[in-house]
This record gives sequence, structure tokens and C-alpha cells, in this order.
Amino acid sequence: MERPHAAYFRYTGRGQLKAKPAASLPTTPAGRLAARLKSIALGRPLANEEEAGERLSKKKALAIFSSDAISSSAYATEEIVRVLVLGGVAALALSLPVSIAIALLLGVVAFSYRQVCIAYPTGGGSYSVSKANFGKIASLVAASALLIDYTLTVAVSTSSAVEQIVSAVPSVAPIAVLIGVGAIALLTIGNLRGLREAGNIFAVPTYLFLGAALLTIVLGVIQVLGGDQAAYTAEQLARQQSSVESLSMILVLRAFASGAVALTGTEAIATGVPAFQPPESRNAATTLLVMGVLLATLFIGITFLAVNFAVLPIEQSARETVIAQVAAHVYGDGSIPFFLFQAFTALLLFLAANTSFAAFPRLAAVLAQDGFFPRQFSFRGDRLAFSMGIVVLGVFAAALVIAVGGHTHTLIPLYAVGVFTDFTISQAGMIRHWLRERPPGWRYRLAINAIGCVATAVVAIVVTTVKFVDGAWLVILLIPTFVGLMMFVHRQYAEQARELHVRDDIVIPGPHRSQRVVIPVPGINRAVVQAVNFARAIGPDIRGVYVTDDIEGGEELRHRWERQFPEVTLVLVESPFRAFIGPFVAYLDVLDREWPAEQEAPITIVVLPEYVARHWWDRLLYNQTAKRLKATLVGREHTVIADVPYRRDH
Amino acid sequence: MLAVNGGPTDRQIVRLACDLAKPWKSEIVAVHVVEIDWTLPLDADVAGRSEEAQRVLDFAEAVAEESKYRVQVVLLQARDVGAALVDEASERNADLVVLGLPYRTRFGGDFEIGRTIPYVLKNTQCSVWVVRQAMLEGSP
Repeated sequence: MERPHAAYFRYTGRGQLKAKPAASLPTTPAGRLAARLKSIALGRPLANEEEAGERLSKKKALAIFSSDAISSSAYATEEIVRVLVLGGVAALALSLPVSIAIALLLGVVAFSYRQVCIAYPTGGGSYSVSKANFGKIASLVAASALLIDYTLTVAVSTSSAVEQIVSAVPSVAPIAVLIGVGAIALLTIGNLRGLREAGNIFAVPTYLFLGAALLTIVLGVIQVLGGDQAAYTAEQLARQQSSVESLSMILVLRAFASGAVALTGTEAIATGVPAFQPPESRNAATTLLVMGVLLATLFIGITFLAVNFAVLPIEQSARETVIAQVAAHVYGDGSIPFFLFQAFTALLLFLAANTSFAAFPRLAAVLAQDGFFPRQFSFRGDRLAFSMGIVVLGVFAAALVIAVGGHTHTLIPLYAVGVFTDFTISQAGMIRHWLRERPPGWRYRLAINAIGCVATAVVAIVVTTVKFVDGAWLVILLIPTFVGLMMFVHRQYAEQARELHVRDDIVIPGPHRSQRVVIPVPGINRAVVQAVNFARAIGPDIRGVYVTDDIEGGEELRHRWERQFPEVTLVLVESPFRAFIGPFVAYLDVLDREWPAEQEAPITIVVLPEYVARHWWDRLLYNQTAKRLKATLVGREHTVIADVPYRRDH
Repeated sequence: MLAVNGGPTDRQIVRLACDLAKPWKSEIVAVHVVEIDWTLPLDADVAGRSEEAQRVLDFAEAVAEESKYRVQVVLLQARDVGAALVDEASERNADLVVLGLPYRTRFGGDFEIGRTIPYVLKNTQCSVWVVRQAMLEGSP
């Protein structure tokens, strides 16, 4: 027996069909070619049930979600030194204490976020926490700040990676921006292929950097203990000081604010809890702890070596980063281990951007599901990835890199404001959570989050104040703008839902409005015959409308029409200015006006006879007027448009 | 060749067949026979229109896919299931016929084997395996 459905569908229950991959395949050769190319670039489409395998183990998740946080150790030290150099040798001596203070803050934040992972296993980070505890506005502020930070993460990490390459190979300086944009494009494609592949791509380089950086610190510390130390020279300072400032509390606070970028990315694990293998919360909390310890070790270690080797960032045509100079000191400039270290650092920084490629689309999808983002952001592509979020992030991040010419330092002031705003909102939300839920041990957890909230609030204020003129103002402006946009989108969706709502306690009656059919006719042909026959199936009130500038020709058509369609009225509309669309739509308006005002307006069904093109080039020759008419009528009140296609092989 | 009927043993026999066939890359054919009673002509369009019959074969296909193997599925209609299975096995030169047997007892407690399996056992030329469903708890 025949099984006609079998090629495209499979019965999975009573009256329930499941589409096979063949059902989604394009039917035209061009479409099939495009699908094939897409499959080569992004991989074969994955079915929903294949998602189970997309969960991440702790090791893989550490690589994916922590690469941003860990990689910030590559530029955080440099940001501290850049500020303190303005205060001279005495100020530079404070680099290590400042980095230790930041590491302590990291400890507080990491411990606080562990509580978030445990309390909110569905992920979403500060957005979920603030939504559950404070409501709409606070959660949207948190979401806006997060989205900005995720975008900046991609731009900053990529720019910094390019700077590491330039430090090792100065000759590529002229194409630095191109390299950055190319890397973002590759990351975008990699992520569109799906999370599991992303994990495999990114796990190895993260661990390579971790190994290399820890080895560098150990060897460097041994060198320092062995007496290999240097002191900053007056000449060296003079070269780097664009201006001179006295050592003041403000200078130290600015250094602290700049170095606080080391904490960026700490939230990513809390946001991505659902991507972990079960038990999700526990695994995420453990990974967060490991990440905190590793980051603190790297950050303090690199700062310690930078101070002891008297390293300052070099600003010339080809920049040399602090971490590159530390590595050059430990391994020897131009040595193979130095190049390897730079390669691992650059690779990690490129891949750190992937933290955002995992987190941004997830958050955008959550926002879309809550009605604050366009719905396309919650649709998953062929590879189970939130394609729209990935593409949007890639485009915005690339634009940022181009806009700042690939200079990490220019982006840093924008960076920390949103991060600490998020931390504060999230921790404040957790305080309310514990006060409301009061599970066993809530006082201890409350204390952790309260300390985190106060600490991050203070830092948020400091960072915003000292970085305001450097660019923080932009973020302060963008956050309320995004909140406004998201509320606008939400209002639109809410209105639409209200308009489309159907009460579930009523039986839907049959149609009660009158219907009339209007067929624009270009003459009498098989397509028109088919359209008239379709119209006859709808109801008795049918009229053909022939718009012409040749009324005599129209009368001839009428004679033929009355002979061949005796029960269907033909209306001739003379159009002395040769227009078609305007007179036709005006005729519909007149029909509406003629309808008795006390009766409910009828539904006007405009039936368009359409000749189906056999070749792509045929499409240019036929149906152009129908297309324009359709575009004009879409959205017209009480109007339905029906295409009746006529195929030549019928 | 597998005889599937939408019963509780279908999943088991499809998996078993896939496991057996994989090393040898053997062909598996899952056959479902819809019995047509004598009031209708044999070529009446019954099985093709039966969602239930299609679902039985789709399920076999899906189980095979889970086992990362392909089965060919065939929908037949016949006056007698046993005879149709025997004919199909002979026509396809099947090496093995696998049938599932639900554990059922008739009134009075005797084990019920039905009439299809004895017929196939008696008349099929190739080997026949019968996979009986595990006894339910509390069964004798």
C-alpha cells in the first residue's frame, strides 16, 4: 500500500504528525543550493531532541563561560598601570595593593553569584533575579546593562587580542581592525553552528592559556625571588606620562575603577546555569568558584610581575602590551615560548568573546519570551542556537571595534559601569529573595549577598563618577534608552495579545458577517475563470472589476463576460489617467460607503487571478500589477486578499 | 523481516533486529498487515487511509532511527495476517522472521498464543524468532 505521508511526516500519535527533515527542504533548485551551502557553513540542522547532548560538562563550561573573566587578566593590570603611571613611581607601587583589593572584590562577587546559581537554576542572572524580586523596571535596567556589557565584551576582548598579536608581530599593525572584525565574523559563524561545537573549539585554547599563564607566573616569581628585578626609571615614566598628577585618593580610585574590568564576565556562569549538565546549579556554583580562584591568581600574579619587572605599556605605532612585556621578560623577547604565550593569550581573548556569544542570545531569548524583545530572538535556528541574537551581537561588536579603531583602552571606560550596575541590582535582588523565602541557612546567605551588594554598589558609584567624562556617560544614556525601547516593544505585544484574546469559556459560533467578492479582471482568460469559480464557492455576491482607459474595449469585454459568466456582475471602471491601483481601491471604498450604516460592515474578499511563473525570469513578466495591488490592500479594514494561482500544466 | 502490529513488543523487536543487523549491514523490512474482512474487496483502500496502520510503521522507523539504523517499511492488506507474512517472507527471501508475542492469557488462565504465530512457525521456510513479552507482575 502507498504511504504518501512517509517522505515528509511521521505519525507520532492520534492526529499528530512530526515533520521529517525533507519537509523543511526547499523545493526549488536555487533554494536547495542555498540550503546545501548553509549546511556546509553551519552544519546539518539539529532536531529538538538532539539538544540533550548540548549540555556542558563543568570542564567545558569553565572554558566557555569563564574565558571572558579569565582573559580580562590580560588587560586589567595594564589598565591599572596606565592610570597610576600619572602619579609617578610612588603611585605605581600601589599597583599590587590595588589589584589585591580588586581580587578581594572578585571573591565577594563570586561568592554572591554562587548563591544566584543555587537560587535561580533557570538562569538569566541579574535579569531573572531582579525580575523576581523587584519587578519590571529594575529587571530591564539589569538586562540593558547586561546586553551592553556582552557587546562590549566581544569588542574589548577582540581588540585586546589583536593588540597581543601586534605586540608579537608589529608588522600586522596596519590591518589590526580587519583582523578583529574577521575574528568576530568567525566567532559568529562558530556559534551559529551550535553550542556543543563551540565548546569543543573553545575548551583547548582556554586551558592552554591557563597553563601558559600559570607557568609564566611561577617562572616570573622564581626570577624575582632570584633577584631579577627592575625599577621604573625617570626616562621611562616621562615617555609614558601624557600629564602628571599628584598621588591622590582620586588617582587610586581611578586605578581601581580601571582595574575592576577584571570582574567582567563573572555573571556569565549564573546566566548560563541551564546549559550545565545536571545537577545544573551545583555544577555552575562549583565552576564559578574555580573561575574566581583562577582569575584572582592570574590577575595578582601578572600585576606582581609587571611591578617587579618595571613594565609600562608602550604606545608607539605598534603597541606593546603589559602582559606581552611580562612574557618577554620571563621567556626572552622573540623566543619561541614568548610567541607561544602571545598566541595563547590572543587566542583566549578572541575566544573570550564567546562568553558573550553564549550569554547574549540566551538573555535576548529570555527577554523575547517575556515580550520585551522582538520574538525572532527566541526562535532557534537549524543548529539549536538563538541565531538572531548571535548575528545582532556580531554586527554591533564589529561596529564598535571599527568605531574605536581597535583600541581596547578607549572601550574600557564604557565597560565597568554596566557590570557593577548589574552586580548591585542582582545582589540587592538576592537580599529580598532570602528575606522572603527564608530557607535553612538564609541568614548566612543573606549576609554574603548583603556584603556583595554594598561592595558592588560602592564600586558602581566610584566607577561611574571617575569614568563619567571618559565615556561612562554613554552607558548612562544608553541604559534608559534600551529600557524605554523594551517597554515600548512590551506594550505593543501586550496590546496585540489583548486584541487577539479569545475567552476560553465560549463556543465559537459560525460566521455571521456578510461577504462579498471582488475580482480585478484584466480580461477573460483561464486564470480569471479559475478565480471566478473560486469566488463562486465563497458566496453569491461576486463582481468582476475591469479598470480601463478604453471604455469601448471595456464594453466589448462586458458583452463577452455576460455571455460567459451570466450570473456574475462585471463593473467597468474608466480610468482616464490610466491608473489601475487607485481607481480599484477607490471602487472598494465606494462599495464600503454604499453599505447601510446600521448593518455590520461586510468582509470584502479580493480574489486575485495569478498566473504561476514556471521559471525565475518569468516572474519579472507576470503578476506585477497584482503584486502592487496586494501591497496596497494589505492591512485594509474588513478586507481579505486571496490569490488564486493558475498553473500552465493544469 | 519484522512483523509489527502496534503491540507492546514492537519496540523490542525493532531494537533487537537493528542490533542483529548492524554488524552485517543486513536489510531490515518491517511489515504491518491490515486484515480486510470478507465484506470488502481485497483491494479496498483501507490500510492506506488508516492513520493507525501508518502510525505502526512510523513507530518502527522511529525506533530504528534511535538505534541509528534504517528499516524499510511495508504496509500490506490481506485476508489473513499469517498467510501474508509467510508470502512476504518467501517473496523477499527473508533469512529470518521476527515476531512479537504479547503475554496474554485467555479466560481460565491458559496462555494465549493466537493463530498468526503458529501459522508462521509452521509455514515459513526461513528461521523464525518469536519474542515474547516479559510476564507482567502477578502473572502465573
